Amino acid sequence: MLSFRQFVVGAAAAVIMGGGAYLASEGADTGPPDPVLPLADQPYVVTDDLSAYRRAMMSGGPPPDGIPAIDNPEFLEAADANLDPNDKVIGYYHNGEARAYPQNIMVYHEIVNDRVGGKNVAVTYCPLTATSQGFKRGETTLGVSGQLLNSNLVLFDRETESYFSQINATGLQGTHEGETLDEVNLYWTTWERWRNAHPDTKVLSENTGHVRNYNNDPYGSYNPIGGYYQSNNVMFPLMHESNRHHNKEMVVGARTSDASVYFLLEDLESERVQHTGDFVAVYDERLDTGYIYATAEGANVTALDDGTYEVDGQSYAAGELPFDQLVAVEAFHFAWYAFYPDSDTV
Amino acid sequence: MRKLATILSYPRFRWITAGVTGLYLILFLIALQEISLGGQGFSFVSVDWTQMFDRTGTVTFEAIAMVTVPGLTIIISPLNILIGLVISVLVGLNLMITYIAYYQPRACSFNRSTGVLASFPALLAGGACCAPAIILILGIQVSSLMMTVFQVLIPVAIALLLLTLKLILDRTDPALLQLNQKQEKATT
Repeated sequence: MLSFRQFVVGAAAAVIMGGGAYLASEGADTGPPDPVLPLADQPYVVTDDLSAYRRAMMSGGPPPDGIPAIDNPEFLEAADANLDPNDKVIGYYHNGEARAYPQNIMVYHEIVNDRVGGKNVAVTYCPLTATSQGFKRGETTLGVSGQLLNSNLVLFDRETESYFSQINATGLQGTHEGETLDEVNLYWTTWERWRNAHPDTKVLSENTGHVRNYNNDPYGSYNPIGGYYQSNNVMFPLMHESNRHHNKEMVVGARTSDASVYFLLEDLESERVQHTGDFVAVYDERLDTGYIYATAEGANVTALDDGTYEVDGQSYAAGELPFDQLVAVEAFHFAWYAFYPDSDTV
Repeated sequence: MRKLATILSYPRFRWITAGVTGLYLILFLIALQEISLGGQGFSFVSVDWTQMFDRTGTVTFEAIAMVTVPGLTIIISPLNILIGLVISVLVGLNLMITYIAYYQPRACSFNRSTGVLASFPALLAGGACCAPAIILILGIQVSSLMMTVFQVLIPVAIALLLLTLKLILDRTDPALLQLNQKQEKATT
């Protein structure tokens, strides 16, 4: 039996020890908290001043979130998807999970705030520039601002209301001004190609929580190609223009912290390997896309007949060359040029 | 309002107003792509009705249901339909008075050509809903200023339609209309 004095002393000791343990545990957790919005360690090169971008930014009509992002996406099995083999999809693969985001849904929403393979990502698509780009989103969600820069989607972080240009992934205004989103590789391909590459893929459902006529693309058609996607017209003003190629010619581009590069997809398809400066691009027949690597000038890459590539006597798949792989973005030529007029190219 | 009620007491003018209103509303909804051709099968989709208040543009709002029948898809955005109806009724009334000015000029104290001017705000209202479609079809490049104008086109069109309706009603005499109708009845 404890005396009253023993009880008081014991209780006091327990409080002191417990408090000490609590303080010790607080002090031990000294690491930085996870970022709400992950950002790139190395920012991408930008051609123009941020103030010039802000001046060129203009309303595309809708208010912020007037084009509603899909925040609670639902998915179908591949067998249940009502897609034609030649319909365009945006593909993403991470940690054993594959997703297909049909273009006919993305044209109405432009952003899907998803979680794939344990990673929170925002899959973004701009119909006016034909760019599909993925960004790590951490604990926040991204929305469509309703603003355009060079005809391209300006998205915003709903946590800080920072605005980002999609193509150069750069903060235009707000808390993250001048910072670069942490980008992941997406694929702009056809349903048939994506399904062949990833038979177990899940497909974004039309049950988006919003009512849209997903059979009616307001801009035109990709299957077959027509309307805005085929014409040489551009709807909104551009900061830099070039007549070198048809405005809607597809290019595959990439950027580092000090340079950018692009290749015409059609030329890359026929040549399979293209070099320029410190970059090499190879064509992937399987997904009809290109991969871009930063490499030492003169790196020797040879296309083999079986669709793989030889480097230093070893054979590699297009997406697995032993160089520093960059995030590759497919885009209409006019859009890439408007952001990166100084890009290296062949 | 009394003048308007008097004019609308004639079936002919009621029918003209209703016909123009109905036609204009359909065109308005087609321009917003809320009525489109190409539906497959029968289906009905709906979402939470409170989304109808979410804005998709300066004065356009979210849809809450979609009806598909073979060959036709209709999206139901209650506030867009309401806005379209307001514009359509105003266009219908303006064009009906323009019709009176043209075919029964004695009832209006302005000449025929002035009466036709009343249809211009109707065209502007048409531009308000069709602008995005026209831009796409013609491949026009849109400046920041033009975007600003497009965003206020619908409220401006409504204001102008109200203004022209008031102006032409002030110069219209329903008593002379009645005479005209009696003449019509006498000749038929």
